[in-house]
Amino acid sequence: MIQRPPAAQGAPAPRAAGGPPGPGGRRRHPLVIARPWLLLAPALAVLAVLLLWPLVRVVLFSLQDYGLREIVSGEANWIGLANYGEVFADPTLYTVVLPNTVGFAVLAVAGTVALGTGVAVLMASLGAFWRTVVGSAIMIAWAMPAVTGTYVWIWIFDADRGIVNSTLQALGLQDEPVNWFTNRWTFYAIVLLNVIHHGFPFVAITILAGLLGVPKEMLEAAEVDGAGPWRRFFSIIVPSLRQVFAVVIILSTIWDFKVFAQVYLMPGGSGTNREALNLGVWSYVESFGQNRYGFGSAIAVLLTLVLLAITVVYVRTLLKEEEL
Amino acid sequence: MTRRTRLAALKAVLVAALLAFTLFPAFWMLSSAFDARAGAAGQGLLPQEFTLANFEYVLTEGGFDVFLRNSAIVALVTVLASAVLALLASVAVARFRFRFRTAMLLMILIVQMVPLEALVIPLFVQVRDLQLLNTLLGLVIVYVALSLPFGIWMLRGFVAAVPKELEEAAYLDGASWGRMFRSVLLPLVMPGLVATSVFSFITAWNEFIFAMTLLGGATENYTVAIGLKQFFGEHSNDWGSIMAASTIITIPVMVFFVLVQRKLASGLVAGAVKG
Repeated sequence: MIQRPPAAQGAPAPRAAGGPPGPGGRRRHPLVIARPWLLLAPALAVLAVLLLWPLVRVVLFSLQDYGLREIVSGEANWIGLANYGEVFADPTLYTVVLPNTVGFAVLAVAGTVALGTGVAVLMASLGAFWRTVVGSAIMIAWAMPAVTGTYVWIWIFDADRGIVNSTLQALGLQDEPVNWFTNRWTFYAIVLLNVIHHGFPFVAITILAGLLGVPKEMLEAAEVDGAGPWRRFFSIIVPSLRQVFAVVIILSTIWDFKVFAQVYLMPGGSGTNREALNLGVWSYVESFGQNRYGFGSAIAVLLTLVLLAITVVYVRTLLKEEEL
Repeated sequence: MTRRTRLAALKAVLVAALLAFTLFPAFWMLSSAFDARAGAAGQGLLPQEFTLANFEYVLTEGGFDVFLRNSAIVALVTVLASAVLALLASVAVARFRFRFRTAMLLMILIVQMVPLEALVIPLFVQVRDLQLLNTLLGLVIVYVALSLPFGIWMLRGFVAAVPKELEEAAYLDGASWGRMFRSVLLPLVMPGLVATSVFSFITAWNEFIFAMTLLGGATENYTVAIGLKQFFGEHSNDWGSIMAASTIITIPVMVFFVLVQRKLASGLVAGAVKG
């Protein structure tokens, strides 16, 4: 699953210009010490200027009243934690944004992992031909860009001519076309469908790789001992794939907390329907829609902190598995 | 029915349902793109009046040819720049043990988790200060930075997998470090370089939030991901064109994806970036 570096990786640097580093005592040639840093310099410069400094800056912005005037003049207007105070005092946070963000992430992760696991188990039980067919089909769902995938789902649920509405009407299940995007629940149900459809293939492929690594003898022995399929799944497969499940769940959580295009592009999703806001979209529309970059930054910092907390768990999981 | 045939029937039903769910959006996109009646009342599952007119329209009057060119430029420059930077950095990380090495790897890993929504505000200000708003260069700079951490993380594994003995043999033969890099390391990590390049291509090709923010004022510089919105009308949407343009965007991604999906899957677990 994860590319395991060969054992040789742990060995010391190649012995060249400066001679052998030698255990203790002998000093290394300065060029030998500098070499990795020379190789790293260009990449580090880019990362520092375009990822790390902006990350610091978004925190700095969040402590300022940073609007159109400040963006033009470049002057800082420090207001302390007032933006955060406003975020936490805003009822939108508790009634709309947090439920939409957290509730959605929970359902999306559960749905993605459940479907992905089910598909992996199904694929493991198929012959080579049908496994390839299913594998290719889910690859198509995975490869579809988020933007075009989202437009297709919008078109499927379109209020006037969408196939869902026309099918439901043809079946007599509904008299009038329904605008699925105005209601908060159906809006997020469509986002959920979109995100699960796009996200489950990764889970399925990853877990399938793990499943194929579970020793067949163990499963056969359990079957001989009278363990049913559920028992075999929960007592053998789940424990031996614990690490795979952990990584897949955490990654899905990180992705599903920050869905943006899938919400923003939907009718009303770009802030006109405030019931549909999640943390990411709220931050964006406050910044670029209202020119309240400081307030938007405070929301963005909150989102980042949540993801950072999940990331720490992820990194610890990963560190257990391989040496960096 | 015996237990065995029941199980086979159940599997067949599950596979059929799965294929329908998985393929329907792509199928519907294609069907609408090739249908002269797309978006009209009574459009069928398959195109009833097969046509290429939707494609012709988006590529000529729709301006999508320009967006395709912009996206191609942005993606190619991003791929080249990030491949060079990532390769150098990954050699450093995979081949040398040095102070702060682990700390740096962790930083690279963590920085990828930062939501784009948080980076877009300061980077908008930064690109604006550089007077690169509405230019392709401004977008390229950002995309190089976005694809770099994953590139380093993934190439690191490929560099580490090159047997050290080969390098040492080259040294014994008197090759310089640079020579060894070019004639031993580079050919061997080429598959990894291709895989990471495909990944940064897909990132640059699909990216939405930065393209929307940094190119907002210049329609002529739109990339494909945001160029689609040209076909949304105030009262009705031109679904035939939107689906034709979506098909054109999706094809290169699908082709590349199939080429590298195995490597992408293992890299994804390590790198945590979704295409």
